[in-house]
Amino acid sequence: MARTFSVGDTFTLTRKCDRYRPIYYAAASGDFNPIHIDPEVGKSAQLGGAILQGLCTLGWAVDAFIGYLGDPGKVSRVRVRFSRPVGIEDTVVFSGKIVAVADGVVKAEIEAKNQRGEDVLKGAVVEGRI
Amino acid sequence: MALDKKHIGRRYGPFVYEAGLEKMREFAWAVGGTIPSTGFTTLGAPAGLHPWLTDPEAARSSPYGAMIAMPNFAVVFAIGPFGKACADPEVGVDLLRLVHGEQDFEFFEPVKSGDVLTTNGEIADISSKAGLDFLAVTTESRNQRGELVVKGRWTAIIRNAAPAKAKE
Repeated sequence: MARTFSVGDTFTLTRKCDRYRPIYYAAASGDFNPIHIDPEVGKSAQLGGAILQGLCTLGWAVDAFIGYLGDPGKVSRVRVRFSRPVGIEDTVVFSGKIVAVADGVVKAEIEAKNQRGEDVLKGAVVEGRI
Repeated sequence: MALDKKHIGRRYGPFVYEAGLEKMREFAWAVGGTIPSTGFTTLGAPAGLHPWLTDPEAARSSPYGAMIAMPNFAVVFAIGPFGKACADPEVGVDLLRLVHGEQDFEFFEPVKSGDVLTTNGEIADISSKAGLDFLAVTTESRNQRGELVVKGRWTAIIRNAAPAKAKE
């Protein structure tokens, strides 16, 4: 394949949690936990309102990596810690960096920061087969 | 009250799920930034979303010969054991104090429309730290040919007492 993957390569993706994103994601994923679709429940759970499903944030990180890898069927790993909830109107910037290319696997670390510069994911790693 | 470690090893499954093209496509659209019913609106696919995830025509000439699911579509068909463990009255998790703490997926085979995915899982670990309980569930999903599709490790964090103090 002509395509080369190198340590130090970078990629980015920006995603906004628009007002109804948790509801759209609930419809598609089946995750209708009330903390995602009912602001009152989110408040009573001390989350300041409805929050986005962490797994949607994970999906954004995967999507960022697919944009770099070029083949969604070759993503082989994703691992994240959800360090901070993503709330309505938050914008998350994903910044990926390739940290290893070996044994047919390309490995990236991804930072995910909201508009206040706070990490919403920690230790995010994605890998793909090349 | 802390969760009891005796539940480690408790098994859940099998959960059987048949993947459908429209469902896979709606999922990709929702993650990609538009609405699940995009196909019936003038919105169109969001910029940047890989065409093999939403366009069967474009995917026909791909190495897979058909549209495939976004890898993290696994959250739809493989969540059964985690969901059941968190809602299991024997385990006793307070759902209002639960947040999804960590997630780890290893992907093996891509998912196509018509695939039948069977998921089994078990409680892999229960631990406590600094007023928080951690509940980890591992899952394994296979397709109708018996091929391993995805392995998952799902970790819930439960704030177990005095939430005002335990939070942050």
